[in-house]
Amino acid sequence: MQQLEYKVGSDNKHSIVVTLKPKIIELDEVGITSVNNGYQQIFREKSTGSFTVVSNRLFNEQVGTSVLARLDGIANGLTIDKKRANSYSTGIMIRGLSTIGGPKDPLIILDNFPYDGELNNINPNDVESVTLLKDAAAAAIWGTRAGNGVIVITTKKGRFNQPTTIEFASNLTIVVKPDIWYAKPISSTDYIDVEQFLYSKGFYNSNINSVNKPALSPVLELLIKKSNAQLTPAEAEARINALRYVDVRNDFQKYIYQPAVQQQYALSIRGGNQNIAWLLSGGYDRNISELSASLQRISLRSENTIRLNSKLQLTAGMSYIQNTTTSGQGGYGSITSGGGVSLYPYAMFADENGKALALNKSYRQSYLDTVGQGKLLDWKYYPLEDYKHALTTSNRYDLMAFANLNYKISSDWTAEVQYRYENQRTTNQTLFEKESFFARNTINNFTQLNYATGQKTNRVPVGGILDQSNILLLAKNYRAQLHYNRSWKNHRLSGIFGGEIREVNTNTNTYRTYGYNPDNLTSVNVDYTITYPQFVTGFSSFIPNTNFLSKETNRFVSTYTNLAWTYLDRYTLSASGRRDASNIFGVKTNQKWTPLWSTGLSWLISKEKFYTADWLPFLKLNMSYGFSGNINPNQSALTTITTQSTSPYTLLPMATISQYGNPDLRWEKSGQLNIHLEFKSLRNRLSGTIEYFSKTGKDLYGLTPIDYTGVIVNTLVKNTASMKGSGWDLELNSLNVDRKFKWQTTLLWNIAKNRVTEYYTNSARASNYILSAGTYSLSPLQGYPVYSVFSYPFVGLDPLSGNPQGIFNKQLSTDYTALVGDSLKNAVYNGSAVPLSQLALRNTFTYERFSLTVNIVGKTGYYFRRSTIDYFTLFNNGGGHADFARRWQNPGDETTTTVPSMTYPLVTNRDVFYKGSEPLVEKGDHIRLQYITLSYEYAPGKKRSTPFSRIRVFANASNLGILWRANTAKLDPDYLDNTIPPSAAFSVGCNLSF
Amino acid sequence: MKQQYKFTISILIATTLLLSACTKYLDTKPNQALSVPNSLSDLQSLLDTYYKLNNTDPGSSETSADNYYLTDADWNTLAEPYRRLYTWQNDRVFSNYQNDWSNIYSTVFVTNVVLDNIKSIERTAANQQEWDNVKGSALVLRARSFLQAAIIWCGPYVPGNAETAMGIPLRMSQDFNEKSTRSTLKQTYDQILQDLKEAADRLASTPLHVMRPSKAATFGLIARTYLSMGNYDSCLLYADKSLQIKSTLLNYNTINANNAFPFPQLNSEVVMENLIPVPPPISINRAKIDSTLYNSYHPNDLRKTLFFKSNGNGTYGFKGSYEGGGNLFSGVAIDEVYLMRAEANAKLGNLSTAMADLNTLLQTRWRTGTYIPVSNVTATALLQLIRTERRKELLMRGLRWMDLKRLNVEGENITLTRILGGQTYTLPPNDPRYAIAIPEEVVLLSGITPNPR
Repeated sequence: MQQLEYKVGSDNKHSIVVTLKPKIIELDEVGITSVNNGYQQIFREKSTGSFTVVSNRLFNEQVGTSVLARLDGIANGLTIDKKRANSYSTGIMIRGLSTIGGPKDPLIILDNFPYDGELNNINPNDVESVTLLKDAAAAAIWGTRAGNGVIVITTKKGRFNQPTTIEFASNLTIVVKPDIWYAKPISSTDYIDVEQFLYSKGFYNSNINSVNKPALSPVLELLIKKSNAQLTPAEAEARINALRYVDVRNDFQKYIYQPAVQQQYALSIRGGNQNIAWLLSGGYDRNISELSASLQRISLRSENTIRLNSKLQLTAGMSYIQNTTTSGQGGYGSITSGGGVSLYPYAMFADENGKALALNKSYRQSYLDTVGQGKLLDWKYYPLEDYKHALTTSNRYDLMAFANLNYKISSDWTAEVQYRYENQRTTNQTLFEKESFFARNTINNFTQLNYATGQKTNRVPVGGILDQSNILLLAKNYRAQLHYNRSWKNHRLSGIFGGEIREVNTNTNTYRTYGYNPDNLTSVNVDYTITYPQFVTGFSSFIPNTNFLSKETNRFVSTYTNLAWTYLDRYTLSASGRRDASNIFGVKTNQKWTPLWSTGLSWLISKEKFYTADWLPFLKLNMSYGFSGNINPNQSALTTITTQSTSPYTLLPMATISQYGNPDLRWEKSGQLNIHLEFKSLRNRLSGTIEYFSKTGKDLYGLTPIDYTGVIVNTLVKNTASMKGSGWDLELNSLNVDRKFKWQTTLLWNIAKNRVTEYYTNSARASNYILSAGTYSLSPLQGYPVYSVFSYPFVGLDPLSGNPQGIFNKQLSTDYTALVGDSLKNAVYNGSAVPLSQLALRNTFTYERFSLTVNIVGKTGYYFRRSTIDYFTLFNNGGGHADFARRWQNPGDETTTTVPSMTYPLVTNRDVFYKGSEPLVEKGDHIRLQYITLSYEYAPGKKRSTPFSRIRVFANASNLGILWRANTAKLDPDYLDNTIPPSAAFSVGCNLSF
Repeated sequence: MKQQYKFTISILIATTLLLSACTKYLDTKPNQALSVPNSLSDLQSLLDTYYKLNNTDPGSSETSADNYYLTDADWNTLAEPYRRLYTWQNDRVFSNYQNDWSNIYSTVFVTNVVLDNIKSIERTAANQQEWDNVKGSALVLRARSFLQAAIIWCGPYVPGNAETAMGIPLRMSQDFNEKSTRSTLKQTYDQILQDLKEAADRLASTPLHVMRPSKAATFGLIARTYLSMGNYDSCLLYADKSLQIKSTLLNYNTINANNAFPFPQLNSEVVMENLIPVPPPISINRAKIDSTLYNSYHPNDLRKTLFFKSNGNGTYGFKGSYEGGGNLFSGVAIDEVYLMRAEANAKLGNLSTAMADLNTLLQTRWRTGTYIPVSNVTATALLQLIRTERRKELLMRGLRWMDLKRLNVEGENITLTRILGGQTYTLPPNDPRYAIAIPEEVVLLSGITPNPR
């Protein structure tokens, strides 16, 4: 709502206040007139920066528990690198990567402050809109943390003079079972052949004779029985052959995976009169994953704005989130056989009656039967039962409260004080019941049997093992800010000046209780200072002690300003500046304060007198330049140490070196130029933005190989490189047909290129940069993209041996150590490792109350390395790739395959060479059907006799798969090829307003 | 308007005041566990991190030595660098990283952090004991790392030659931007001895725990250093000093041979605790004890049962480590010091004292009442006897490689052989390969001179 004050009369003493009642309509991003950067509301017409706004409507075309995941493919300039996404990183990039060694995630602002809690706390139903701050003029106000761009999440608010509105939303999503057949492991029959081959070579002798008595696979046990004449060769062969047709993936499909179900409910009430605007909302989410893990989230939020008098306004609010998760079953890849060895492909989880079967996980059963004299706990592992006895429950309570006081000092000045407090308490509890494998294994290992007397001593008491951890996060934000706003004649000057203090505390404590009895809450003390011989191996070991305490305090102090001067309503000049300081340790004090600035210019061409293009009534040009930074708390000019636990020997603290002080270290600096053209045609038939940006990065941090004679590590983060990047962000919205039937198209096209312009170290051994599938590192060669895919030149397989052949010193070579040790300059450059361009095409067809949206996303211009057979892993860790079946076996095979023959003994670098060679690099280009949404919407408004003022019923399908891909291996280039990509999700839901 | 300027100015003043208050606000530690190591207790806590400093000794010397052999099948299961190391190849005997070189120089780095930082802590009457212990401990840990490196990567110490023979890089500060260069062998040994001797002056006779260096352990290490140089006078002097502090041997008659690993960790014979994480070739599951060596133990010699586990097929594995497990003890133990004193005395012609030490030791190694003390032997025979006992007592402690170099310099003419798949590999006396190849990665990154071939 806008309040305008007009001075009238010659002495300016009288004034008329006109209050404009806003018309409540849902706005498209085209219609949004101002954006929030976390500090202030900026009118888009007068902004010099580059913003992307995701409107509420667009945001709600998809469903899902996570706010950020919904931005994929709909936010101009944003891409998600799903290979990098994990619990520590969102994988989100705004305009490509700006740093090499520093933190890569953009800064997330919830309403006015950086959000320190768990991102999954935020209920998407509370979100009004999401804004990306992309260029320096937009983001530099956030200083040293804005180097990777900023995402501002704005929640729904009550408004003054708004009739009470009740909104209800509900949806249900079913995610189909994961496509377990996507993974390409070695077949059971091939694996059994390998086991037989290695057995005949005596490969397993040291395991079979080992004092550790490691568990052996069923085939090996049969082979041993055959050798010991406990089985006839024919019988052994028959029993082995029976296993050739078993595929453990069938059991995963049958007993473990299930469709995931996600339910979401949200209710909000908001309203307002002249002096009060209020909102109350609540949400409930319930998810059951494909592995039976559960999540429940309850969120409550209230926000009120009160006009205390004509000058003073108070906004205060609170939110409470309770999030409970419970662990589920182990998935494909996480259930393993003994000693971290991959599960053999012919494992079986249940017998024909569905009764859970055991895997030998720790030690050979035949050995345990004799040595344990029946006095030990059962030492088998039952994959289908075990998770029930080892449940992890996590409870997270998040309380956030804030208050804003806004005081109008004069017609020009407004003062504002803001405070936000967040308290997030997480308790994780894993109870390994005494039936769990973990508890039984630990107890048995610390059992001592006196064979003379038959007496048994349990050094770890029989009972459950309870692991608990509590994490308390406290964040406090204080901000004081002055707004200046003054218009005279043809000038308008606006600005903010402010300072803020942030403090984030994290306290963690972790502890373990042995001999835990959940019935009467008793436990038994153990002695952590004495070693005991392990039951089977006899090795002396301490009882594992996981107790751990930590306390972290991060403090930030910042001052900032943002000024904009507009002349004639069409020329705007802006400037922003910010200094940040923090208590980052080991940084020299004079480096703690980092000044960063930006400046921008905007020209509303369509307001010029000479502008006569009626068909294009809005045309605006922006330019900006500025610097942003990147803090990396892990870089230090001083050597620092971290205190570890207490030594069980001296009973005094132990410490390790955590940072290697490097006096030569400098800050990473990156500058960004942005040119931005915005236009709208008549009746919005065509609108959009065309943006060009260029980035320069100096002294970028990168991992550099280092002579480890001088330090503990073999790579260190140093200022290694400079880079240049540039790109285009294109957004086109068109209304193709505008009748009863409407057809709207949005095209997003993001292009981002970069290259290394300088590289400070000269060690470029190929093997340091040609890494395994799915990982890529900084390219050390000038002129190449910062992340490049290189590979070893490959000249086919040797027709006599099936050995892969490379080129060393311009000669054909099979000296694999020399080949992988060669300079990267002699490697083949395949292309960029990250997409150079991303294209999203969204079409919406509307016919009366029905509407259909289809969003298609394409990525082009990049390469990835696919995985293949690695004989070392196959022999030693049991993990194999289906490429094994395509290996060279007989002369002539080299014409049809590139997969090397199996050789024994192992030549490790032969594997390394082939895995990094040319034939394994694939083009990443692909087009994906991101989502389809079909909806029915009827909005009769308040006046009608219907009980609701608006109803929307929708169905959405997402993760529908790839429409086209350049690679013939049928891999999804967005995901690592040893993980199963998310499967299709189907949702139905409704939104009601009263 | 005037009021507005006043207002603006007062805001500016307030901001300035606020900012100066912030400096203190920002002095808080970001992580309570984190610190810049500037107190003696910080430095001591670095040195007490036993799993980084005591448990990471190098295994390549023992892997290259002749106490064991491998079957073809077991050798084939090993990773390539180990297969090459076992057969004394010219190069590529280490993985690129996480090898003996990186383990040794990691310890050197930590000790250099301690030695660099202790310079800024004043030694006062109140802290001198703690100060001396920190500095002395760091010196010992650095010196024994240098000694281990010299034994692996340098040729034998030949007095006339040591000024020109290549030593190891002597990293003396934590500045990793400094370039590594190889010192001469003499410089290497001089540094080791200088550090150890200063440490011996600073350390207490008995430590808080044998995980920490002590005077007794340091004297033992000095004796070991002199022994490897063939300097028997000094070896004798320091072995004797060590035994004056700690000399009670473990009576093997009290040890239970039925345990999988009979000797408990930290037993009374341990002067300073260090271990070699057992390298895959030497693991009890693979390494077969040289049969001549096994057969040289008398049936009444308790070591025959306490040290060796029968594989049931006429071969034997080693279970006699002082670690209560499969890892190899590499610290200083009283038995080693006895044997050093005995050998030095024998070499110097003090036959009766040498015999006394040998008898004292073996009394505790044989079944009670069965040992017949040595008497009345020639100097040469006694020396030979002591050297044989040294091998039998100290096998799998990472000492044999050092002894082989020294004995060959003295003309014992020991040729090592390995037989695999019908092929015989030999290592003749004083072969350049006694200086094992430096990891190629290190040579590449530092530019130091590789060992000649």
